[in-house]
Amino acid sequence: MYPAQVGYYKPESLGEALDFLEKHESKIIAGGQSLIPMLKLRILNPKYLVDIGDLKELSFIREGDVISIGATTRHSELVSKRLPGAEIIQETASKVGDVQVRNMGTVGGSVSNADPSADYPAMFSALEATMVIRSKAGTREVNALDFFKGPFNTALGQSDILEQVKVKPLRGYKQVYRKIVRRAGDFALVGLALVLKANAGVVEDVRIAFTGVSDKPYRAIKAEEALRGSKLDSSSISKASEIAVEGVNPPSDSRGSSMYRKEVMKRLLRNTLEEMKDAS
Amino acid sequence: MLAEPGQRVKIKVKVNGVEYEEEVEPRKLLVDFLRENLNLTGTKIGCDTTTCGACTVLVNGKSVKSCTMLAVQANNKEVVTIEGLSTDSRLSVVQQAFKDNFALQCGFCTAGMIVQAHYILKEKKPLSEEEVRDLIHGNICRCTGYQNIVNAIMDASRRMGA
Repeated sequence: MYPAQVGYYKPESLGEALDFLEKHESKIIAGGQSLIPMLKLRILNPKYLVDIGDLKELSFIREGDVISIGATTRHSELVSKRLPGAEIIQETASKVGDVQVRNMGTVGGSVSNADPSADYPAMFSALEATMVIRSKAGTREVNALDFFKGPFNTALGQSDILEQVKVKPLRGYKQVYRKIVRRAGDFALVGLALVLKANAGVVEDVRIAFTGVSDKPYRAIKAEEALRGSKLDSSSISKASEIAVEGVNPPSDSRGSSMYRKEVMKRLLRNTLEEMKDAS
Repeated sequence: MLAEPGQRVKIKVKVNGVEYEEEVEPRKLLVDFLRENLNLTGTKIGCDTTTCGACTVLVNGKSVKSCTMLAVQANNKEVVTIEGLSTDSRLSVVQQAFKDNFALQCGFCTAGMIVQAHYILKEKKPLSEEEVRDLIHGNICRCTGYQNIVNAIMDASRRMGA
């Protein structure tokens, strides 16, 4: 199906885009890999599309004490870039959609769309990334944990644009993104972003974030607390996996039931922690 | 560039080496532009939901799904479709490998498969079977069971000197 009638504006700069957004009822399109399917299903019928897909000023990957990723950076660019201290970004990007989608889709698009089963939201929650939001009023920064508010709902207002995502490198952390899918390239039934720092077998720091199990990325804070300071062994791992599913009630849908998702969460976390234990 | 809802916009797109200037509605999908405006019907519409890859084309050298891209997004860019892969009525190496390996049955997914194969082979580095399967998972074939498609891509890779 083709989308409903829509106007189109292609700004030459971020400033022009912000001006237009403030005055007109519009939706931002970057790569369109989340937006176009919704336009085709006519779930969304904006008056205008503001096409920022080719804005060079928003397409960058900067390394240093802070890693910053511009909003129109394509997934494929992150797939071919290993970022020391944030290796999980490359791994997550390589599991988004498929090659064609990754060539077109953008980091900012995926994050702003905030699909409850998307990969980046969980990963950036585990990294406690900072979302840099631009509007006519200026720039503000929101932590990933506060940025995702619900299904397809973020801290972004009608005339805001996500400019970049900033991440502090976590050196010496093991980092893993795993997702269970029903078919190749699908959204996650359950996805797990896990970063962990251990010292002589004792967990110094750990962050556990799931996707596909709630209306937004789910940080298993209690499981993290249980692991911190304890020895990483089969008993602490199994305890943490049990605690992780408390306090979350996953949805039931065509991909799987709520109960099944809980079971997958448990196994996924347990297996991933066991592998980390064996590798250390 | 600004178009009011319902207004058409003028776009310039180079497709298979030929410059086209066309007026399109902003909502026009790239696949429909190729098939309807340019009569290049080699590119197929399969699932229409970004899943199957039958509509795969190259935009500025990168493979994309043309059912999930607007024609206006291809403005000032270069598009290559299945029609642009062979020269002087000779099949490309990948096309020949598909033919030699019986890598198709009904043929509906083949155009997208071959365009994607061109993309993943362009760096001429050796690929394992597992890598090939991973790189073409955005293309669905409901006939072959993929084995001969994978064989054809591996074969083409060897012929290209990877």
